[in-house]
Amino acid sequence: MFETIKKLFTPVESIDAQQARAYMNEHAEGSFTLLDVRQPAEYKTAHIPGATLVPLPKLSDSYDQLDPEKPVIVY
Amino acid sequence: MLAGQGFKEVYNLSGGIMAWDGGVAKGPVELNLEMVREDETPEAIIKLAYGMEQSLASFYRSMETRTKDSELLKLLELLASIEDRHKQYLLELYKSIEPSGSSREVFEADVSAKIMEGGFDGDTFIKKNEKFLHSVLEMIDLSMMLETQALDLYLRFARKTDNNETKTMLFRIADEEKAHLSSLGRLREEKTL
Repeated sequence: MFETIKKLFTPVESIDAQQARAYMNEHAEGSFTLLDVRQPAEYKTAHIPGATLVPLPKLSDSYDQLDPEKPVIVY
Repeated sequence: MLAGQGFKEVYNLSGGIMAWDGGVAKGPVELNLEMVREDETPEAIIKLAYGMEQSLASFYRSMETRTKDSELLKLLELLASIEDRHKQYLLELYKSIEPSGSSREVFEADVSAKIMEGGFDGDTFIKKNEKFLHSVLEMIDLSMMLETQALDLYLRFARKTDNNETKTMLFRIADEEKAHLSSLGRLREEKTL
C-alpha cells in the first residue's frame, strides 16, 4: 500500500533550460528519455534533438513505449 | 500523468521549447528513417555513420574551393579534420566489435558517402546553401545545424531499431555528436567575442 501511495505522489521537478541542457550533456544517451508531448506539427517545426514525440492526448495509451526506470525530461 | 504511473524521476522543462536556448532539430518523426530498416547490425550502422561523416568532410573541403577568405578556409579545414577524427572514432568502434574484420580499405569500399550527416544530399545542399556561406559565423551556424540534425537522426534510428546492440551503438555515436555540438558552441562563442 505504501508503494502505491508513493507512486501517486512521485514529485515532478521543474528545471530550466540550462539545467536541462546540463543534464542531457552529463548523461549518456539511452539513460534518460526526452519527451515531447506536443502535436506532430509542432514537433515538425522544431523539437529538441532526440525527443520522443507522444502527444499529450495519447500519453496515457503510450506508457508501455516508455521506460519508467529512466528519468524523463518532458516539455 | 507520468508521476502517477510509476515513473521514478520526472522533470518538467520550465517554459517548454520556447525557453530552450540550444539547437533545435526540424522535420517530422519519420524524416530520413527510410535510410534504415529495423534490423541493421551494429557494423552496418557504423558504416552508415562513416559514410555520412565522409560526405560532410567532402562538403567542407568542397566549400574550401569556393572561397579565398583565409579565416573561412582555416575554419573549413578545421571542420573537415573534425569529421576525419569522427571517422577514425567509428573505425575504432568497428574494430572493437569486429577485431578480425575488414581492413580500412575494404571497410571504406563498402561505405556510401552520398548522404551527409543529418540526411542531406551533399550536392543538393551545396547548391541550395552556398550563397549563405560567406562568413565564419555562418559556417559555424550551418555546421551546428547539421550536427543537431545528425544527433536527432541517430536517436530516431535508435528508437526504430529492434537490435539492442545496434541501439547501444547508435547511443554511443549520438554521445559523440553531442560532444561535437558542445565544442562547436564554444568555437562560436570564441568567434563572437
